[in-house]
Amino acid sequence: MEIIIDGKKVEAQYGETILEAAKRNDVYIPTLCHSEALPGLATCRLCMVEIVENGVTKRVASCSYPIQSEIEVVTDNEKLRRIRKTLLKLYYTMAPNSEMIRKLMEQQDVREFNRCKVDTENKCTLCGLCVKACETMGTNAIYTVFRGAAKKVGTPFDEPSEPCIGCGACASVCPTNAIEYLEENGTRAIWGKTFKMVQCKACGKYFATEEEIAYLYQKLGDDIDIKKCETCRKKANANRFIAAIKAEGF
Amino acid sequence: MQSSKRLTILVCCGPGCIANNSMQVYEAFKKHIAGSYLNVEVAMTVECECDKESSPAIKATGCHGLCEHGPLVTILPHDITYIKVKVEDVSEIIEKTVLKGEVVERLLYTDKIQKKKLVKRDEWTFYRKQKKVALRHVGLIDPGKIDEYLERDGYKALEKALKDMTRSEVIEEVKKSGLRGRGGGGFPTGLKWSFAAQAEGTCKYVICNGDEGDPGAFMDRAVLEGDGHAVLEGMVICGYAIGVDHGFLYIRDEYGLAVENMKRAIVAARERGFLGEHILGTGFSFDVEIVRGGGAFVCGEEMSLIRSIEGNTGEPVPKPPYPADKGLWGKPTVINNVETWTNVPVIINKGADYFRSIGTENSPGTKVFALVGKVNNTGLVEVPMGTTLREIIFEIGGGIPKGRKFKAVQTGGPSGGCIPEAKLDLPVDFDSLTAEGSMMGSGGMIVVDDRTCMVEFARYYLKFLSEESCGKCVPCRQGIKTMLEILTDICEGRGQEGDIDLLVEIGQMVQEASLCALGKSAPNPVLSNIANFRVEFEEHIKNKRCPAGVCKDLTAFYIDSKICVGCAVCAKRCPVGAISGDKKQLHVIDQGKCTKCGICMDNCQFHAVRVK
Repeated sequence: MEIIIDGKKVEAQYGETILEAAKRNDVYIPTLCHSEALPGLATCRLCMVEIVENGVTKRVASCSYPIQSEIEVVTDNEKLRRIRKTLLKLYYTMAPNSEMIRKLMEQQDVREFNRCKVDTENKCTLCGLCVKACETMGTNAIYTVFRGAAKKVGTPFDEPSEPCIGCGACASVCPTNAIEYLEENGTRAIWGKTFKMVQCKACGKYFATEEEIAYLYQKLGDDIDIKKCETCRKKANANRFIAAIKAEGF
Repeated sequence: MQSSKRLTILVCCGPGCIANNSMQVYEAFKKHIAGSYLNVEVAMTVECECDKESSPAIKATGCHGLCEHGPLVTILPHDITYIKVKVEDVSEIIEKTVLKGEVVERLLYTDKIQKKKLVKRDEWTFYRKQKKVALRHVGLIDPGKIDEYLERDGYKALEKALKDMTRSEVIEEVKKSGLRGRGGGGFPTGLKWSFAAQAEGTCKYVICNGDEGDPGAFMDRAVLEGDGHAVLEGMVICGYAIGVDHGFLYIRDEYGLAVENMKRAIVAARERGFLGEHILGTGFSFDVEIVRGGGAFVCGEEMSLIRSIEGNTGEPVPKPPYPADKGLWGKPTVINNVETWTNVPVIINKGADYFRSIGTENSPGTKVFALVGKVNNTGLVEVPMGTTLREIIFEIGGGIPKGRKFKAVQTGGPSGGCIPEAKLDLPVDFDSLTAEGSMMGSGGMIVVDDRTCMVEFARYYLKFLSEESCGKCVPCRQGIKTMLEILTDICEGRGQEGDIDLLVEIGQMVQEASLCALGKSAPNPVLSNIANFRVEFEEHIKNKRCPAGVCKDLTAFYIDSKICVGCAVCAKRCPVGAISGDKKQLHVIDQGKCTKCGICMDNCQFHAVRVK
């Protein structure tokens, strides 16, 4: 079907989100909590756009609003800019030292907002990506706990979480680098637990925790190859590819 | 009121009256009646009509409405109602009223508007403008006895729907009635049902939202406690209309009596064949189970409620898809509020035209309100849509106590806006209230007088919402937190120039950008108070003064020498002994000792205590 984004006609598929259609057509919409692998959180609200659907104008989160009719989308106007600016002021009070927040502030032309308390220690914006990553992994080691202003991400009762395999998926999806972990001497410490790491069979680099490898074998079966680190696995695949095309005479 | 000539004693056992010992009054009636009618077993008289015409029936009923004057006791068929009945009054009531038909004058209600004592309840100004549709049985029947519901056409609507109407005819009738969701959204109920009916799949659900969490609201509670079968009947009819066999009744766990009464109602309905397999001998089966809410305000929001039933954290998810399309466990779900469900049997029984004859064109029917705050007749009221706020507050509510001045009324619970005096002639319906920056909400109505500080009032609700926001999306969680911080600063004398504009800026963003209805409506108290009482905010910020004398850091009381008569009431009431003065001489407040509690001001009948 055809929709209009910022005055331009573009192709869209029924049911896909406005953000997906915009991205495919090179229209930029700012996001924070969006990850293509873990879509639909809709908590950061930076991706608000204005749409006209069945004659009604409304502002919606583009990352979760499904295209179900031939809508008209505006991604940038005075009202939307105001929403994003005010939102970023609040982000500043939450995580003023996050690089990501600073970048977004600069991009949206927002200055430091010091009327209210600013939490200089904090980097977490509670977007929920870490929890969703852990849930998608199937480990469910971390959750959001409490509600309202007291809400935070943590393990049950702040104790080391039994199901945690130290995979670090939470930290790698975090847009503000708020999840701390430490890797040294063949160990990884995260969420109050220290894991022994496994070395890559090819390059010797410590690349995953023992628990993570065991979990992957349990989920995916014994015939997968996870003895090497990601870089070496890619290298091996590339070499195999080169060998294959050489054998074909290229 | 009741056609039967049998003597009946209705003891209100709604939440307010129970708190004032109405259960003890009820027990006392049972005990004394047993003594007066020696040869009659009281339990028997309640259980069956049989042939003991001379023995009174005693009923512990749901809420009668006028909570301010509870416990209320009504004696039928004489139609005599007594207020503030104590255990000690019971023997006199039996001796005079029950046995001789005489009136106990001292227990009668004095109607301040008609300026006289009134015997019959329907003559009270409090009841005269009311129209009971949703609450039609509440206060008249013993909710624990299904027969009493059946005597009043109970489950007749279900029978009519199952035996005389097709599924689509039921949906059409509800559509035609114009019934709109009473939980606050005001979405047309029939339309919602038709979406769920059209949705693909055979596994669908019906949910009753009984997670009433607004501070000061008790509409749904009264229905669940006082007339649970009406809710069940509505749900079963919907189940039939959209082809569903399972329903959930989500009740907040703090409502212990509501949970108990609904459990009993479900068991009774199953026994009589109104729930379960082959309802009324037809091929249609439907059953309901109770889910007890865990005490989160946000679970009154439909998506959060659904997540909560699924066993997940009660947090909203983006809409669309709407529940009618993908609801509980991803299946099409109809979710309606308690009050909406109770209206359904009326629509089926009496027809959509009857329902449309009440209320306004766009908001037909009635609405139940919990009228609380600074108003003489606090309680549960049901009025036709379109009744003005002035009628509700000054006629039904009997006006403002202690001769103080009306200041504002907040409709719609913690997320509702405040409406000032100039707009009191606003008709109460979904569209008018929303247009004024407030909302119908589920029906909370809090009246405030001139002793309420509108800045502090907004701060109070934001404090509640900051604790009750689920915290999922940033606008709601961080926006409310930031607005609360600014309002607290203003109330404690740290307000800065520009704060009002900042509150408006953040408030408007929170309204626009929040994920669910909780966040979208959370700034209402702040924004409507700024719109209607901006001067009061400015006084706090610029002159560091709280005109209502509530914010302690910005308040100093004094006694006006021109008005003070030296009655010494203030000096006697002052808890810290800060007021001195000779009899019939001007009294003076020692500012060093004064804790600014305001008791002197509230108790001076001459209004001589003023705020500097």
